[in-house]
Amino acid sequence: MGESPVTELAVRGRQLHADLVLDTEAVVVGTGAGGSIALRELARAGIDAVALEEGGYHTTADFNQREERMLALLFQEQGGRTTEDLAIRILQGRGVGGSTIHNTNLCKRIPDAILSAWADDFGLGDVRPEVLAPSFARIEADLSVSEIPAADRNANNEVLRLGAERLGWRGGPLKHNRVGCQRSGFCELGCSYDAKQNALKIVLPQAAAAGARIYADVRATRIHVEGGRVTGLEGVVLGENGEHIANARIRAKVVVLAASATGSAALALASGVPDPHDQIGRGLHVHPGAAVAGIFDRTLASYDGIPQSYECTEFLSFERGSDRRVWIVPAFAHPIGAASALPGFGASHMRAMRDYGKLAVLTALVHDETEGRVVLGAGDRPKIRYVMNDADRAQLGKGLVACARILFAAGARDVVIPAVFPHRMREPGELDRLDTGFVRPHELPLTAVHPMGTMRMGTDPKRSVVGPTGEHHHVRGLFVADGSLFPTSIGGPPQIGIYTLALHLAHHIIARARSS
Amino acid sequence: MIVSRRRFMRLGIVGGLLVGTGSVVAFVRTRGYVLDPVRAGRLVALSPWHVVVVEHAARRIAAADAPEDANIPSADDTDVAGFVDGYVAKLPADMRRDLLRFLAVLEHVAPLALGLGARFSRLPAADQDRVLTSLEQSSTLLLRAGFEGLKSLVFMGYYRDPRTWTILGYPGPWVNRP
Ligand SMILES: Cc1cc2nc3c(=O)[nH]c(=O)nc-3n(C[C@H](O)[C@H](O)[C@H](O)COP(=O)(O)OP(=O)(O)OC[C@H]3O[C@@H](n4cnc5c(N)ncnc54)[C@H](O)[C@@H]3O)c2cc1C
Repeated sequence: MGESPVTELAVRGRQLHADLVLDTEAVVVGTGAGGSIALRELARAGIDAVALEEGGYHTTADFNQREERMLALLFQEQGGRTTEDLAIRILQGRGVGGSTIHNTNLCKRIPDAILSAWADDFGLGDVRPEVLAPSFARIEADLSVSEIPAADRNANNEVLRLGAERLGWRGGPLKHNRVGCQRSGFCELGCSYDAKQNALKIVLPQAAAAGARIYADVRATRIHVEGGRVTGLEGVVLGENGEHIANARIRAKVVVLAASATGSAALALASGVPDPHDQIGRGLHVHPGAAVAGIFDRTLASYDGIPQSYECTEFLSFERGSDRRVWIVPAFAHPIGAASALPGFGASHMRAMRDYGKLAVLTALVHDETEGRVVLGAGDRPKIRYVMNDADRAQLGKGLVACARILFAAGARDVVIPAVFPHRMREPGELDRLDTGFVRPHELPLTAVHPMGTMRMGTDPKRSVVGPTGEHHHVRGLFVADGSLFPTSIGGPPQIGIYTLALHLAHHIIARARSS
Repeated sequence: MIVSRRRFMRLGIVGGLLVGTGSVVAFVRTRGYVLDPVRAGRLVALSPWHVVVVEHAARRIAAADAPEDANIPSADDTDVAGFVDGYVAKLPADMRRDLLRFLAVLEHVAPLALGLGARFSRLPAADQDRVLTSLEQSSTLLLRAGFEGLKSLVFMGYYRDPRTWTILGYPGPWVNRP
């Protein structure tokens, strides 16, 4: 293949001394899970391809394990992105490598039942489990996916395992994409030891070695479409403080949207891409979640070690109409995250923070039916409309009660659901009487880290934006290759599914780039 | 009087004020805030009166549980307001604007809703706590969200300081750990 080593992976905005004007075959917007694979496959096929990334190019040396600095550097809106009603915090990455820079490395395939439902309901025969299996296997090999050894399980994860086992509930170890992990526990702030086998470390260097060019600090602002074909895009080059320092104009016959389920939809909407059935931005799922804390009599130091290595799947099944739609995993935070999540303020809050080292925290994430919507917000940024429906709220309530039972079963002295009016319990019997009506926006801190949908794949243009090849129903040469593609929620960590779908669709993108 | 104000809150008038006219209220009532000119000159996103409001809110939000313990740094020691200024400067303009409007509501409107005649920054600590609690538990969802946002910023400014980690028994990042 003739791939050569790469020294500097990306050109930074401040290194561009004039407008960025390029004539190329393909341009990929966004360099996260989906964009990195699309870029690599294009380059390996000998296509002249560039990627634009609105965030910065940061390396291991920048990842200093400081929350206040890394939130600002690596997350959209400095970690302050929320739903339009400010009720759900939406964490998403921004930078070369996208959300793979600071995700917690969990690796799971899209469940077979979900793929089969996509095939049947959306006409996606090509995503059936047996068809997609080789692509999953290739991605897992690329990213060195392996099971997290039991010996690497930290105290927080042990609490989940022990509690679930004592209750006789289904659970098991998780897989991850880490090699040489130092178990420092700072995955969510970028890995200081370069142990993440992610887009930044693995896939983008492969893309660059195969000839792709990556431009950091360049935000795509408009896709150009003429006569039903894409002709390229324009954007802005950003300086170190996000200021507009130059323009970008890229001519290309293929544009691949991989700016995430929020960013891709916002860009398509801002560009006025044909949308006769008003589909762009619809179908947003986010896996909303909330946390439950258990206070133990001994020090757990849950901030140390691999954050998530064990799952409880007792309340998760994927068949149609299932009323078991919650996934339970540990969730621990560093001091700033913990302080923000604990209810109250002042002296009582500080007293609670003194138990920091004795806390185990679990989270329940909903495999959501609610369909939110991405619309255009100020400055053409995505505005996220999403209000959980009653069924999902009930699922989350069930999940929180389950988390609390696990914590008690594992020996917690107190269990707290940190709602605005916190629910403190001293024994599991109190859970039988708990009215979970408080599980609603603004009563409970809600967080989501898995936006999906918004540019769904499907054969029917009335219910989807792109066809089974990933190409837009009405614009030749415009492809999607990120979490936007998912027709439904998947009920688990999405990165492997996104990497895999991008790989699976790549030959269609390449074929279009080669066609005249 | 107080009751009718509370009803106003429930009807969302304060929420509307937050989005719409909080900045107008702030504009006409920004006198009488004293800030050291050197500090004022260094500000990037906040104006002096915002800084004073953030300082007062931070002192209550990050109030110590053992005020006599000299090892617990205060919100002033950790320069929470200075941190918030720098952080807010890089937020997208609409988010920055919403936060500044919330500060105006906190300073001028929220005390009135409890029947307190003075600005937030001139109230005794116990009344400031009442105001903050009323926002945290407000039936106006936007006000709750505003409080959550401010609380996150304050704790980001406070718990970023290694001196606070000893309160928690937290050893800090591995990187650069001696
Ligand atoms: C804290 C956290 C923990 C997570 N943990 C896990 C986990 O353990 N396992 C798992 O499977 N998933 C996890 N995820 C989710 C996972 O990382 C994402 O689902 C996945 O990376 C999404 O891939 P994507 O390609 O859709 O978008 P992203 O990876 O988010 O990449 C999109 C990129 O596009 C860029 N962009 C946006 N708009 C523009 C524009 N207009 N112009 C140019 N560039 C643009 C963004 O800056 C971003 O870098 C986690 C996410 C978070 C936030």
